[in-house]
Amino acid sequence: MDNYIIEVKDLVKVYKTGNIKAVDNLNLQIKRGEIYALIGANGSGKTTTINVLTGALYPTSGKVRILDYAIPKDRKKTANFIGIAPQEYSLYNELTLEENVRFFSLLYGQSKSEFRERLDHLLTILSLHEKRKTVVKNLSGGMKRRVSIACALIHDPVLLFFDEATVGIDPVQRKFFWDYFRSLVKEQEKTIILTSHVMDEAERADRIGLMRKGKLIEEGIPSELKEKYHTSTIEEIFIKLSDVGESE
Amino acid sequence: MKVEDKNKNINKEQKKTKGNQELKTFSWKRVLAVTIRILNSFKRDPRTLGLLIVVPSIIMIVFGLAFSGEVKDVPIIIDNQDEGFDIGPISLDIGTNITDFLINDTRVDVYLGSYEDNIQQVEEGKYIAAILIPSNFSEGIYRLSMGYNTVIEIIVYIDATEPNVRASVLNSLYDALAEIRGSQGIQINQIIAHGGSEYTGLEVGMSASMAYVLSFLLLLISLVTLIREKISGTESRLYSTPLTATERMLGYVFGLTIIGLLMIFAIMIFGIFVFGIEVRGSILLLFISFILFGMVHIFLSLFLSNYAENEFQAIQFTPIIVIPGMAVSGMLIPIYSLPDWLEPLSFVFPLTYGVNIIKGIMLKGWGFKELWLDFVILTGMIIIFFVLALITVKDRMSD
Ligand SMILES: Nc1ncnc2c1ncn2[C@@H]1O[C@H](COP(=O)(O)OP(=O)(O)OP(=O)(O)O)[C@@H](O)[C@H]1O
Ligand SMILES: [Mg+2]
Repeated sequence: MDNYIIEVKDLVKVYKTGNIKAVDNLNLQIKRGEIYALIGANGSGKTTTINVLTGALYPTSGKVRILDYAIPKDRKKTANFIGIAPQEYSLYNELTLEENVRFFSLLYGQSKSEFRERLDHLLTILSLHEKRKTVVKNLSGGMKRRVSIACALIHDPVLLFFDEATVGIDPVQRKFFWDYFRSLVKEQEKTIILTSHVMDEAERADRIGLMRKGKLIEEGIPSELKEKYHTSTIEEIFIKLSDVGESE
Repeated sequence: MKVEDKNKNINKEQKKTKGNQELKTFSWKRVLAVTIRILNSFKRDPRTLGLLIVVPSIIMIVFGLAFSGEVKDVPIIIDNQDEGFDIGPISLDIGTNITDFLINDTRVDVYLGSYEDNIQQVEEGKYIAAILIPSNFSEGIYRLSMGYNTVIEIIVYIDATEPNVRASVLNSLYDALAEIRGSQGIQINQIIAHGGSEYTGLEVGMSASMAYVLSFLLLLISLVTLIREKISGTESRLYSTPLTATERMLGYVFGLTIIGLLMIFAIMIFGIFVFGIEVRGSILLLFISFILFGMVHIFLSLFLSNYAENEFQAIQFTPIIVIPGMAVSGMLIPIYSLPDWLEPLSFVFPLTYGVNIIKGIMLKGWGFKELWLDFVILTGMIIIFFVLALITVKDRMSD
């Protein structure tokens, strides 16, 4: 048994509608305690990859192992260990912030006291204490994002997926997040997979994977990548490699 | 294409378009934009478009057929005990004449049998009336025509819970008598079934409507609730939580049942206390029946929601089930009055059993003894819909 928390081998995902090969022979290995940033142009297959990894979407072919469980076969076994903030913040608009988070807390089998303690902790980190009783519909876009992140973190998972989770979040909050993410990884050996179009955010990751048309075309530690391509920013590498001129 | 090249092209394009046009306060172009937008949305959703054309036609056909005749084919029992009467070479057999007349009358569907044995069948709703023609019937009619003062009595044991059905039976009997000799001197002695229950159209209509309202609203509310989860994107988030599809379904069922209970309370309070419809059977059984009947719709919507991709389709399902249901469930005209080939359709709709149970308990004082089959069928429907829902439920994103 090796210490990869995520192992993906020759993953292919073809969407039947439109016959689109959204993920094309993807290989990925992620260690426990890593922050891994998946970057790539719109439609390059990042969300599709994450949905397969979390077990929400079934792959066409290939092998996926999460926490040493086969996905999607054992997806309900891993479910308690993973937290997801999807690209579309999927929340119950008519429920309050607390009711939304409580719902997920119950799904993950938390007790009331565990929930209270955890929610308190998260609301402090997410600066959402006053909005606790506010109906989600009446929150700002960035606040909804933060609630979605709270739902992903409520059960203290070891593996986190943030699909563009920081879109619309202001710089101050974003800095809080990153400090928090870092501490999670450092102190608790959590693993975070995120996608982002903000390149300075991607640069803070331990490793970056660049996707193009469903393929992982480059991967590595940010500083090494910059050296390899003789650039000062990841953004330049992105533009160089991801063929933004003609998306898809 | 390089980024710089692309930018050049965009700049060229921008010069061509006229900027800063003066804004009109009203523009048909903008109206047209909305119109086209609506039509395009429909174009992308051919199922809804199909339903929009098919549903009204189905509804019209069913209604047309259901209303094409008045109440007819009412099942009745005739016990003709008439012994006949011989006047010289001529022998009178008026009981048989009347029976034959009724057999040929489309308003009633005649079965021959013993009056005594079939009273119970009338109580149980198998027949609407049992008619007893006495043994001295022909003789009595002969005597009447000879000017003797005598009384001839036809006994009709009749279900009077539905005024139009009762009228149909009695009218055909009067017509038969008129055909023979005129009904003067012949007494029709009606014995009213279900402990003398006679109702007005209001009471009959209201009790059936109670079942109908629950059916209609609960189906709609359940479907919309379930679809909302799908289109809000929350459902796909649930796929990667420990929640299984079965747990999710059961959660929906309990939640919607509680909503259903509120509706049942409202419906029962209005029907019984505001409109003052008497409940001859057990109120508790009525309540339980409403719950069972309501749950059929919750489970049905669980199944149907797996086939609806958007709220349009969900809402389209409702009239397909609810409107033909109204026509064939016995709510408007009795099931036996439907065209023969339409009759089997009525056994598919939960409303048929709901109406029978609710009317039975409220108007006829029926209990489990008379209604057990309806309860079994509704329970069976719940099981079938639940199994179908579990088979078709989505527990992963579609590809
Ligand atoms: N449900 C779907 N059915 C059919 N095709 C889909 C579906 N979802 C995504 N696709 C297609 O799959 C490809 C990859 O999409 P995906 O959402 O994974 O991209 P992404 O990298 O997350 O893009 P973005 O940066 O815009 O979020 C795209 O071409 C997209 O059109
Ligand atoms: Mg995406």
